[in-house]
Amino acid sequence: MSVTEGKELRIIGFLCNWCSYAGADTAGVGRFAQPTDLRIVRLPCTGRINPLFIVRAFMNGADGVLVSGCHPRDCHYSEGNFYARRRLETLKALLPVIGVDPGRFEYTWVSASEGQRWRSVVASFTEQVHALGSMPRFMSGTSLDLCLRPAVQPRVF
Amino acid sequence: MASSLDELKTAIRKALPGLDVVIAWTAGPDALSHAPLFITEEADVARIEWDPRCSQNLAGYLPGLRGKKAGIVAKGCDVRSIVELLQEKLIDREDVVIFGLDCQGAVDARSARAALGSSRGVRDVAIDGASVCFSVNGEPRFFSPGEVLQSKCFGCAGADAGLCDHFAGERGLPPQFGNPPESTLERLEAMDMEERLRFWETQMSRCIRCYACRSACPLCVCQDHCAAQSREPHWVDQTDHPREKLMFQAIHALHTAGRCTECGECERACPMGLPVMTLKRALNRRIKDVFDYQAGIDPNQTPPLFEFREVETNIKEREW
Amino acid sequence: MVMPTARYIAHDKLMPWLLGLAEGRRVLAPVREGGKTLFLPLREDSRLDLRGLADDSAKAALLPRCEPLLEFHYAKTAGVPSRTTLEVREILPGQETFLFGVRPCDARGFTVFDRVYDAGTRRDIYYCSRRDKTLVAAIACADPAETCFCNRVGGDPGGSDGADLLFTPVEGGFTVEAVTERGGAFLREQALEEADGKAEEAREVREAVRRAMPEGPSLDGAPDEVLRLFDDGAFWESVAAKCLSCGVCSYLCPTCYCFNMTDESNGNDGVRVRTWDNCMSFQFTLEGSGHNPRNGKAQRMRNRIGHKFSYYPKLHDGNLACVGCGRCIANCPASMDVRAIVIQARSRVLDKEEYANE
Repeated sequence: MSVTEGKELRIIGFLCNWCSYAGADTAGVGRFAQPTDLRIVRLPCTGRINPLFIVRAFMNGADGVLVSGCHPRDCHYSEGNFYARRRLETLKALLPVIGVDPGRFEYTWVSASEGQRWRSVVASFTEQVHALGSMPRFMSGTSLDLCLRPAVQPRVF
Repeated sequence: MASSLDELKTAIRKALPGLDVVIAWTAGPDALSHAPLFITEEADVARIEWDPRCSQNLAGYLPGLRGKKAGIVAKGCDVRSIVELLQEKLIDREDVVIFGLDCQGAVDARSARAALGSSRGVRDVAIDGASVCFSVNGEPRFFSPGEVLQSKCFGCAGADAGLCDHFAGERGLPPQFGNPPESTLERLEAMDMEERLRFWETQMSRCIRCYACRSACPLCVCQDHCAAQSREPHWVDQTDHPREKLMFQAIHALHTAGRCTECGECERACPMGLPVMTLKRALNRRIKDVFDYQAGIDPNQTPPLFEFREVETNIKEREW
Repeated sequence: MVMPTARYIAHDKLMPWLLGLAEGRRVLAPVREGGKTLFLPLREDSRLDLRGLADDSAKAALLPRCEPLLEFHYAKTAGVPSRTTLEVREILPGQETFLFGVRPCDARGFTVFDRVYDAGTRRDIYYCSRRDKTLVAAIACADPAETCFCNRVGGDPGGSDGADLLFTPVEGGFTVEAVTERGGAFLREQALEEADGKAEEAREVREAVRRAMPEGPSLDGAPDEVLRLFDDGAFWESVAAKCLSCGVCSYLCPTCYCFNMTDESNGNDGVRVRTWDNCMSFQFTLEGSGHNPRNGKAQRMRNRIGHKFSYYPKLHDGNLACVGCGRCIANCPASMDVRAIVIQARSRVLDKEEYANE
């Protein structure tokens, strides 16, 4: 696959335990080939996602963030994904203002049985992030740092 | 405004016996901004001031006074903060008496000081139609509203007269000051993504982490238990890195998403002059478009992130 | 040592001279940035602003907002995955600095630090190392602001306490006088013209400003009054009512020296940083148990006023921990006025005495 050629980027996936994480597992069991840039964080529900997880991920060096949960009306906790949808739509207004390209963040719904859909979501999102390249980083310091050394960057890997 | 001040004082004198405290403004140490005044005795009423220097939004004091009967003097924009506090049940309507005022615009002390060169000798400030007049050592000095007023005044929707228990002055439409000066949001939109990141990097490197933006915010009700100062969870670290300071601004913006009334206290309080309301403006614009909602208008509405619809008509989800 | 004679530098020579100095060391000076005047490293494109008091104090030159003290690393032992060894690397400051354009109040603020951080056996190596490597050049004030009150806390708008060099604005430029031996040695090396008659003009400028400063009740000599109000909760509740508990006053203050230390780490690497702390914040005295002896803003305000006007002067020969720069007044989002609180404290004690006498 073209997207896995060349340098890997850092893409974080926040997945709900009940649908999308199982969906990703289904894709794996089905041995669907997918790009390997994505690192998955499993959460009980998309409703557990604080939009700040996503902001923090970008600040810590992520090049893309993908959120995936149960389809609307299928939430294990009935309504977590409905709240998540509103929060994530709101977050979309914040990211470009602080310099994160809107294309670096997406959310979607993948059920436990949709291994094939999971594969195509991962492939097209990875391709989309690769088209944007790596995310510009904050410089380690600026002229305004009065420290001997600019603030150390313990958080960037 | 002199007559409104007299009306206001009369109304407060009358209501004071039934109240524990009334929050108003009085002359402060700086001639360009009036200070809060906590009135408990009738003798204090004479010290109340009312003119365009009454910039501080006093609504933020209300949650801390919960359980007491509190009166509050409020401009139209301040009333929106009170409405939001009522909506979230952070204050009780029966314990709050609102004294509304006919605001003609509020001075931005920082820009006014820059325009005048100094706050020395300023005796009086009045807004007359399209110009703001400072009386400095007896001499009038005129400025355009864009030079010396708070940027929020350009989108003023007027006082929510419906919610005021008392109203001093003339009810009517707020003054129209014409086009607002270019906002930081507009400047950012003309930049590419990397330039935006660099913009914030430069701005935030000036931040001294005093958290005045948060402390002055009437809707930041966590205050002493703010996520920014928590070690566990460790949302931001203590290094002087602009990234950490911008992270805090993202926290503030997202915690006030759908709640922020753009009262401007965060920017007014910032000693470094950082455009910290920009992120909140961007979120508000989105919330208006997607949820058709503006914070602080109707006390019976529910903020958009506190509820949901099964079918969201304005959200267009991506097809894969 | 005999001090060198006063020198003179014309306005148009100032910037080139400072940039020349910046070649061998860091030059910090008040420059315009983002609508503010801040002490920043001077560069060729910097807009020097010497019109008045800068918006921030210059304390970051000696006590940075954030300074790394050490770095640590947990190294894996080869072959034994469960064992790690800790490697620690100390970080010491070492940069020569010329701090230009502080006002006499800011320079005097450094003497407040010196008594704490450079006190005989208790020497803070980070602070002292910066202090030793920093030459402080103050400019006498010609036009104090409305919020200035150095003359009410034992200071002087033309004073030189805490500075190594004193600049005074005169017609066409500044006179430069050495205050300390280090300042003298530095000045002797500089190719600046003799001040001659301008030294006399400088003296007159300083004297004129001294006279022009509005008088007000002195704020020293209040340590006992403030201490006697320690248990007067109602008084502190009333003065702190409008306080928002932010850190503007502490962080802009040229004498506030409290700090916090934290380890910021990720994985096997980390850094121990020392950062400014703020006594108006809830976390300042929050104990590990969850108990907080200064739970409310009234107790925190009592500490702030008490520290500056009572506890510190009692420990340090009556010297206040306030130099009267007025930044806390000019920048407070709730228009608090530290002068008024001290005056109120004093009259509250007098009222109580009268009541007791009756």
